[in-house]
Amino acid sequence: MARHEQDDSGTDRRGFLKLASLGSVATGAALVIGDEAEAAPVQTATDGYRETDHVKTYYAHARF
Amino acid sequence: MHAADAALADEDRLRAEMYRFLAGLLLHAPESQALAGIGQLSPDSTTMGSAIGELAEVARSADAKEVSEEYEALFIGLGRGELVPFGSYYLTGFLNEKPLAKLRQTLGQLGIERREDVKEPEDHIGTLCEVMAGLIDGSYGSPADAATQKQVFTEHIAPWAGHFFADLATAQEARFYAPLGRIGAEFIRIEGQAFEME
Repeated sequence: MARHEQDDSGTDRRGFLKLASLGSVATGAALVIGDEAEAAPVQTATDGYRETDHVKTYYAHARF
Repeated sequence: MHAADAALADEDRLRAEMYRFLAGLLLHAPESQALAGIGQLSPDSTTMGSAIGELAEVARSADAKEVSEEYEALFIGLGRGELVPFGSYYLTGFLNEKPLAKLRQTLGQLGIERREDVKEPEDHIGTLCEVMAGLIDGSYGSPADAATQKQVFTEHIAPWAGHFFADLATAQEARFYAPLGRIGAEFIRIEGQAFEME
């Protein structure tokens, strides 16, 4: 559906991306992380923001 | 992994996977299972492929505890890590400045909001990668068109992500994360070049 609309507008871009060596390494890499993400529900994309240690860093900075 | 995947063009599926891969490793250090998987990735002769090969090599020789300590030193630290992976900090020298406000405005328009229990600013590099992955593969509803993706990338990622990944590639504390920095820098370069054709 949406795919066909995009294909019409960005043919050059899509051709470039196909050649841009995102290739099989990317697929394999994503599977690696995907397994881990599925094991932990908080990591799904729609729940993208989560409590992490960055919070501590953030507040430490915000004081300055 | 996502229901929308079947309808995605191959290159979009790969882009989403690459963004999610970067997000996963930038938002937290990998567990041993993920490290083992990364260790099995195989290199090829491209810039991206050789960096992936290096990452795999480090993954095979490091354990999760070491990588977790490296992650702490790089991004958390005592007070701060070697790097501060937030867009606002890269663009203004301070956290929570105008770039973050602009990003929140954009995300609001796209109907994306952070969970209430999370205080972390949205302009974390890993969060931005997650947002791009979601826009591409439709995790937030349906896939966003290329113009929307381009807008988010151009306004909120392109101005600083390349610098961040270059810094990561050469950070003193980076061992596992150095090749990841090269992977990120190359991917951002490819994305930028591709969006220019749109």
